[in-house]
Amino acid sequence: MADWVLKGLRTGIKSTAYPQLPEKASGVSPGRPIGTSLGSAKRAETLAELCPTGAIIRDGRNVTVDFGRCVHCYRCHPDEGDEAVSWDLSYEWAADRDQLAAAKRKLDRAFGRSLYLRFVDAGACGACVSEARQLNNPYYNMHRLGFFTTPTPRNADVLLVAGPVSDAMRIPLRQTYEAMPTPKRVVAIGACALFGGVFGPSFVASGGAAEIIPVDVEVPGCPPPPLAILHALLVVVERKPPTPLASLPSAQSREMA
Amino acid sequence: MAVLDQVTNANVAEPLPKLCRKLWKGKVAATLDDDGRICRLTCRADYLVQVCQWLMRDLGFAFATLVVEELASAGLSLVYVFYRDAPSPWAYLELQLDAGMTQVPSISGLVHGPSADWHEREAEDLFGLTFEGHPRLGEFVLHEDWPEGVNPMRRSFDARRRKGRELDITWEPPTVVVAPGAFAMPIGPVFSDFAESAHFLLETVGEDVIRTIPRFFYKYRGVEKIAEGKPVDRVLLLAERFSGTAAFAHGLAFCQAIEAIYGIDVPPRALALRTAFAELERLRHHAAVITGICNSTALAVATAQAALIEETLLRLSCDVSRHRYLFGLVIPGGVSRDINNEDWEHLVTAIGALAERLRDLHQMLRYSSSFLDRLEEVGIVSTEQAITYGLVGPVARASGVARDMRKLFPYANYADIDFAVPVEQEGDGYARLRVLFHETEQSASIIRRALLSLPEGPVDAPHASRHAGVALAVVEAPLGAAFHWLRVNEDGTVARYRITPPSFTNWHGFHLAAENFAFQDFPIILASFGLSNAECDR
Amino acid sequence: MSITTQLFALFFVLCGSGAVAAFILPTRWNPISLAVFGTLTALVLLAAGGLLLLGDAEFHAELWPVLSLGVMTLAADRLSALFLFVAGLVFLPVAIFSGSYLVKYLCHYSLRYFNFLYFALFASIVLVLLAGDALSFLVSWEFVSIVSYLLVNFEYKREESSQAAFVMLAMSEAGTIAVAIAFLLVAVAAGSMEFGALRSAAPSLSATMAGAVFLLSFFGFAVKAGLVPVNSWLPLAHPVAPTNVSALLSAVIVNLGIYGIVRFNLDLVPATTSRPGLIVLVIGSVSALIGILYATVESEMKRLLAHSTIENMGIVAAGIGAAMIFLATGHQIVASIALIAATYHLANHSVYKALLFLGTGAVEAGAHTRDLDRLGGIARVMPWTSVFFLIGVMAIAALPPLNGFVSEWLTLQTVLRSVLLSSTPVKIVFAISGAMLALTAGLAVTCFVKVFAMGFLGLARSEGAANAAEVRIGMRTPLALLAAACILLGLLPTYVIPILDRSVMPLTHESATAALVPPFFSLAAQGQEAIPPKFLAEFHDLGAQVGEGLLPGRGLVVLHRGEEHNPVIFAMSTSYMFVALTGILALTFVVFRLATRGRTLARRAVWAGGLRRLWPGITYTATGFSNPVRVIFGAVLHPAAGEDSTEAVAQHFRTAITRDQVEAHIVDRLVLDPPVSGLRWLAAIVRRMHVGNVNAYAAYVLVALLLVLIIGAGIF
Repeated sequence: MADWVLKGLRTGIKSTAYPQLPEKASGVSPGRPIGTSLGSAKRAETLAELCPTGAIIRDGRNVTVDFGRCVHCYRCHPDEGDEAVSWDLSYEWAADRDQLAAAKRKLDRAFGRSLYLRFVDAGACGACVSEARQLNNPYYNMHRLGFFTTPTPRNADVLLVAGPVSDAMRIPLRQTYEAMPTPKRVVAIGACALFGGVFGPSFVASGGAAEIIPVDVEVPGCPPPPLAILHALLVVVERKPPTPLASLPSAQSREMA
Repeated sequence: MAVLDQVTNANVAEPLPKLCRKLWKGKVAATLDDDGRICRLTCRADYLVQVCQWLMRDLGFAFATLVVEELASAGLSLVYVFYRDAPSPWAYLELQLDAGMTQVPSISGLVHGPSADWHEREAEDLFGLTFEGHPRLGEFVLHEDWPEGVNPMRRSFDARRRKGRELDITWEPPTVVVAPGAFAMPIGPVFSDFAESAHFLLETVGEDVIRTIPRFFYKYRGVEKIAEGKPVDRVLLLAERFSGTAAFAHGLAFCQAIEAIYGIDVPPRALALRTAFAELERLRHHAAVITGICNSTALAVATAQAALIEETLLRLSCDVSRHRYLFGLVIPGGVSRDINNEDWEHLVTAIGALAERLRDLHQMLRYSSSFLDRLEEVGIVSTEQAITYGLVGPVARASGVARDMRKLFPYANYADIDFAVPVEQEGDGYARLRVLFHETEQSASIIRRALLSLPEGPVDAPHASRHAGVALAVVEAPLGAAFHWLRVNEDGTVARYRITPPSFTNWHGFHLAAENFAFQDFPIILASFGLSNAECDR
Repeated sequence: MSITTQLFALFFVLCGSGAVAAFILPTRWNPISLAVFGTLTALVLLAAGGLLLLGDAEFHAELWPVLSLGVMTLAADRLSALFLFVAGLVFLPVAIFSGSYLVKYLCHYSLRYFNFLYFALFASIVLVLLAGDALSFLVSWEFVSIVSYLLVNFEYKREESSQAAFVMLAMSEAGTIAVAIAFLLVAVAAGSMEFGALRSAAPSLSATMAGAVFLLSFFGFAVKAGLVPVNSWLPLAHPVAPTNVSALLSAVIVNLGIYGIVRFNLDLVPATTSRPGLIVLVIGSVSALIGILYATVESEMKRLLAHSTIENMGIVAAGIGAAMIFLATGHQIVASIALIAATYHLANHSVYKALLFLGTGAVEAGAHTRDLDRLGGIARVMPWTSVFFLIGVMAIAALPPLNGFVSEWLTLQTVLRSVLLSSTPVKIVFAISGAMLALTAGLAVTCFVKVFAMGFLGLARSEGAANAAEVRIGMRTPLALLAAACILLGLLPTYVIPILDRSVMPLTHESATAALVPPFFSLAAQGQEAIPPKFLAEFHDLGAQVGEGLLPGRGLVVLHRGEEHNPVIFAMSTSYMFVALTGILALTFVVFRLATRGRTLARRAVWAGGLRRLWPGITYTATGFSNPVRVIFGAVLHPAAGEDSTEAVAQHFRTAITRDQVEAHIVDRLVLDPPVSGLRWLAAIVRRMHVGNVNAYAAYVLVALLLVLIIGAGIF
């Protein structure tokens, strides 16, 4: 027993300084494409066609990116070829689904500094589940921010949903949502939960969690890194501002073209 | 170490078609492919069971998968795929049904038949076949609210259609235990903190659990159906993403199938990189399972240590491949990204340090008696059970079945690299843990060897020709053998994509470990298997 | 004739009329006639018993002389009056209940016969309690045995009914023989059958004779009382008898056994050493533990209640044993307290056991099953039955402020008073008994939580339970009466204790009222010595004088007064507990309502992990709930696990796994099986004599004749 205590003490503190300070370590985010100015409509068109899910949209000579539809296939990545979109290694990806409704809500007093999460796997591939699990590891350690998990929705404040909501999980997801007492919030994690992902609306899968239950915060990515999920929780308790899902080319890159 | 069933010398020596002619005298036709590796047999339905028995019992074949296809203008075609460790290792037993015929004899009742049990149930649900002799144990893939008689994998079914569902309020799962005061404890589908959705019914009379009845396919997304008619690069996304924790392995299998169909030669540098990436994924996957085992026994410091290793590996993966789970890395013809030598050296050093930390952790866990108490003699799967059920991967290797596709059918660079396959005999939770630890050591050593002798050259091969074709690709995913059967059309779209993931095979054997134990052991047995529901349900 | 004689005469006349009316009236009126006559007889008995118990009346009647053995007399002192009153208290609701319950037997069995037997039983029970000499006692005792056998075997068409009733009769007769021998031994020494003569002859018995008499009488009466090791008939007889008969069995007839023990071993032939008391104490504690153990793992309601009767009789016997020891060592007051505890528990047990049995009958009538593994969820559709049953459950689990708590608490406190004794081995026995009684109390809570939770709450586990309906008023009224009695006996111990004290005082020659319920209200009245001021201060702190001027009697606190340095040895007040509990509940309710004034209440389905539907098969069963007890006490219970048999369709498709567990009662295993096997072995040897040859038999006759001649010649 004593060995374990010593080992733990010797390992030291590994927690990230986020949200007080930005996380600078490498490998914490897969990054994503952002709106870029390409200078030619043809190049923009080629780039838009590369994207299998339609996340990159041609807008004249620029491309805009709908983050919600990116599944990280990297076909548009700068390494891949000449037609390339600008890449961003941020991780604060969470967005409010309905900005007007969000503005009206005043939440953090109700939840204070303690938030209980219930995670529901509604057909997720395993990567989103794994990233959510990392929230409990010493690097991210969400307990220090007052976030805890609970196995029963009766005690839960926030419902985390991953997966396109396979048909067999529709009723369990709905039941979990209804078993939670108000006030409650729903966070949809990952591209599948946002629009169905590569599995899309089909004969056994819905097009995202919003078809089944009302969603408040969306986290795009395939899968979103743990810091993005953390950002989403901070958005829920209004300790951090959300990031919009649509990315327009910045004024800088427009000038460069 | 016995690999598969004992194969007698006489049988090995003679080529299969000759044996077949001698024994079956024309009732079963057999031909060998040009390279002598695949033997194709055809027979009629009434001889199916005997031929399968002959293959499995006398010739030492193991059952791999059952592929059901609905080829245009004909009835259903069934291909039973067998393999063994001997010359002419593959046997495809093809059964062609006439149009409108749906009855097939079941082979699940044979001695080694249980490995086919779930394949037959899946085919029943999805294709509407009836396997005689197989007790219809109820809804399997499609749960009770799916309308009877509608089979989604048939051509006539449109994948985009959303059917209205009705809840069958009289449905109850079939229970097996008959005793006064017996009842069943339900677990799931929503349970625990971050568990994947699956349902378990634990039948008990109060103290120990007599039988576990699991229920899966809560996460069925119909991958095989929605792949049909899609271009290959779109299906590659599906192959990677249906099981995100083994994305590289399944993507690799898909690409190998494409390469086999189109005859693409993958350059050696790409092969070496593929080996390294696959082992990196295996390392990370095993670290995650070890974290899960420590978490289930509530050994907090060990869980934290293992979780640190897992996160470090995730960040390392992201550094070398841009994505923490290696998405978008493997493409037909090679890999999508090349890495320069300094990054490789950095990777090798980092992997070495992580392997050292894993060894430390293993050493400390070996002497934690309270931890071992929860794992030793808990959740035992015997060697015979593992062979009968056709289990694969670390679970089978912990029960004495030394079956590893990297040795049996080497792909990528594995033929050139010397590594060991750890095997244990006890089949309990501790044996599975030891196998995981030893495999991580081997993975680290394979990565080092693959990268230190990295050949120069391109990392992908161009391919332009398109033609129809069919191929079966095998990889050793982190959880075991995965079989991907792919048939493409002339125009480059996928006609049939059948995935047999290792979790599908191993979840079938889970109930063997989860019988006659106390309630408190259930999460530990679950964690020691470390299986994935997303992989099984597709 | 005194009023009591008139009342008893009226009682017997009414019994007779009830029996006759059974045959005169048409069959379908029999249940009503039983209810009417039963109520009348019970009321008359209550009046007679009440007058004897609470007032100063006496009863003595001489019947007719028998040879030179003495005169057959009927006499009632306060001890008999107590038992008579309790019997009346139980017979009244049972009679009302029978009016509705017996309807189900109308077409299948003869209700005329039942009514006749019912009144015969009632009359014989009263005769046993009124008997003033050994002969009338034994004759009425025999009547009780036979009539109860006939009543238990009422559903004679069922095989298990006949078998169980026969076991009961056989054991009863064995007990009666032992008791008869005991009586005869003393009567021989006394020269007469009358109780008075026996009493005076008792001191002249030699030690060995007294010991033999004690053992015979104690174990003989223990059969009726259901104590280990002669309790095997109880769990067999209760499930097969009609439910109102089961109530009578458990609540009145087992009391007769205790009456016998008290009358014989404390009144007629009191013990002079502590050895008999120790035997009684140990047997009582062991019975209590074994009884509750088997009750906890049982899932059929009537058998469970039968085991619980064994437990409660064990507690009563433990109290009696303690009293005997204290008497023998000269601590009369504590002996009084022990006897008060024992008789209080007896009365309480009668009331709540009758309530539980009648409640079971109501459940059976409403939900058509008595198996806890097949009940469930009936609280919603049978609210009245559930509430009354809940009161019975809380009483038997000894939860304050109900009656079970008062008597168990008093029993445990008297066991703790063993500090007064000087002999260390005896104190050790007391300590062990106290521990066993405490364990019993804990297991009792487990057992009855299981009964109520599995039986009444949750999901219905069978069709019968799913279609349950509330029972008629005729069945609910007796439940209400008994529940009220439980509550009153629990809340007002200070009024009950003086009554009990007057009943047991002739046995211990010391009144415990002053020691247990001191007269705070009237200090100087009626010759009670004044209480020293120091004591007064302590009592004042306990609130003992609350209610002065308002309440009659002696206040609301039961406390045992001690010596100078320890004025209060133990104290308790269920009335105060009740007030406090009600206050806290009311306060909590008010606060809760105020705090959630503005909130809306949303009702949602039960959370079951996302299961689309709940079905009863996933809820805990009674067997599952009690399985840990079965496992922990496996050495005692010794379940012989049968093989798990497996059916399979094909090699790995298992369709059924059957598990059977057979349990043989520990008493049967240890006490009955050895002699039975021994007798069988002996019989097998003797069987060899039956060769089938007439000549051989003739030879046997000749040999026997020769033997007799030789022996006869030798004697003379």
